[in-house]
Amino acid sequence: MLIVIPIAILLMGALFTLAFRNDKIGITALIASFISLIYVFWSEAGAVFAFSGWEPPFGIVWVLDSFSIFMSLLVMGITSLIVIYSVRYIKKRSHRYYALICLISMGMIGVSLTGDIFNMYVFFEILSIASYGLVAFFSDRHALEGAFKYLIMGSFASSFILIGIALLYGLTGTLNMADIASNVSVMSHLPPIYMATLGIIIGGFCLKAAIFPFHAWKPDAIEGTPSPIGALFAATSSAIGLYCIMRVLFLFGLIQLNWILIAIGVITMFVGAFLAFMQKNITRLLAYSSISQVGYIVVAYGIGNLPAITAGTYQILNNALIEALLFMAFGAAIHVAGSEILGKVSVKNDFLLISCLIGILALIGIPLTNGFVSKWLIYMVTWTVNPILTVLTLVITGFTMAYSLKLFSSVFLSPDKKTIDIPMSMKIPIIIAVVFCIMMGILPQGGYVVSEIASKALFELPKYIGLVLG
Amino acid sequence: MYIVYLFVAALMGIGIYAVVMKDNILKKVIGLGIIGHGVHVLLVNIGHVEGGLIPIITSENIAYLGMHSVDPIPQALVLTSIVIDFGITVLALSIIVMIYKHIHSLSSKDVGKMKG
Repeated sequence: MLIVIPIAILLMGALFTLAFRNDKIGITALIASFISLIYVFWSEAGAVFAFSGWEPPFGIVWVLDSFSIFMSLLVMGITSLIVIYSVRYIKKRSHRYYALICLISMGMIGVSLTGDIFNMYVFFEILSIASYGLVAFFSDRHALEGAFKYLIMGSFASSFILIGIALLYGLTGTLNMADIASNVSVMSHLPPIYMATLGIIIGGFCLKAAIFPFHAWKPDAIEGTPSPIGALFAATSSAIGLYCIMRVLFLFGLIQLNWILIAIGVITMFVGAFLAFMQKNITRLLAYSSISQVGYIVVAYGIGNLPAITAGTYQILNNALIEALLFMAFGAAIHVAGSEILGKVSVKNDFLLISCLIGILALIGIPLTNGFVSKWLIYMVTWTVNPILTVLTLVITGFTMAYSLKLFSSVFLSPDKKTIDIPMSMKIPIIIAVVFCIMMGILPQGGYVVSEIASKALFELPKYIGLVLG
Repeated sequence: MYIVYLFVAALMGIGIYAVVMKDNILKKVIGLGIIGHGVHVLLVNIGHVEGGLIPIITSENIAYLGMHSVDPIPQALVLTSIVIDFGITVLALSIIVMIYKHIHSLSSKDVGKMKG
């Protein structure tokens, strides 16, 4: 019943860490994120929570359908891994760091669980402002430049999302998502003003998800951040942006074959992979690769039937695990070696070698890793629409192989290697991510079933409306 | 009525011009603020009703208030949005202060070359 508990716990975690300016305070953030994870895990799909007893459609409601629960579980799982990883990584000013992590995950949970479109905007702003703060966390030249670019572009996009929401409110007279959907669903075809509003909102969320042509902030932002935050950005913030795009399309009843999304996805894949190949900085390379991987999800979502959406959702799950694994493993190497330039980091550590190898194989999509399963599903669904699309996705997979093997050989296979040792608290989350990658590659059924349940929620608009409006 | 939309468009145009074209990063932040104000005017205008009544129920107006009152919700939305804009502006200005300590310049060309 009380869906707000995870949010309350995370907010209290943030306040606690700020109140006790102690550098051992990471444990609070860890406990807060674990409790929220467990709480969301046990919450049931189909619950509706109306704040302070205002009946929907008047007050703010929170709606738990299976897609939003899937998203918040993913967010909390990745956040918990990253908090464990950060314990030995962040040494100075760590109370601020953990407070911002608590706020960022609170924003993400809020965005995925809310059933009110203005509330979604507010939580997105909490998430964005915490992200700007985390990008600027090291306050060195890289961090400040990335943070300023991200802040200008991000708040520009927020303004457009707000314009879209204002127009939508003017047109439908309501902010409740189910009420908007029921107003829109009675129209036989959407008037142009609705399509313009939809375009403005989706354009704003495209920037937040770093989809072409609005991808430019992401490498700059990730380059300046601590590696665990790079992992959080690459794994979850694009996923949340995509979630919002799908939720808005869902409200307008537009989950269908959409060539615009497919085209944007293909271009995003190409641009990301091509620019990743050109990079000389490890973090930038990984950032561009995460942009390219998001392109696969956009293509799958653009096809818009149940198998395609399931493939996309499965790719969100796998991509989050793989990107988190890669950023954490390469981040450990960068952290110990003290450089980010490709060619200057060459380490000898069997643990890192194996985990990076598995991460890269999963990124390419080699069988027996989780990346293979979702990529295979995406090849299958693109084949049913147009075989040329399958060829394009396969070409990008070739690009992926090229840049990731370049990265791997430069870090682990160069002749003058330095033996390094990484702390246990960094090993544990990497091991968890590796185990998940292998497990979901060998036994893909579990992940597929979960993604299918989550994706089915996007096809049940009347059920969603009935759930909220009664 | 349309003059308000023209005003909104003008504010947004000035803001976008400042964010995109101005070299000084402080002016870019001011531009963001002007875009925000444009959106706020748009939001308030959506709740406007020509000759509308105050949305407070009394014993006299209870019969016809629902038809003729202005919409109070956009004002709540605008208040929320103003607070968010305030937070973003404070964060942007503090980042600018730190940038200025590093490079002693506010030109966006210099910010682009910060990494050296």
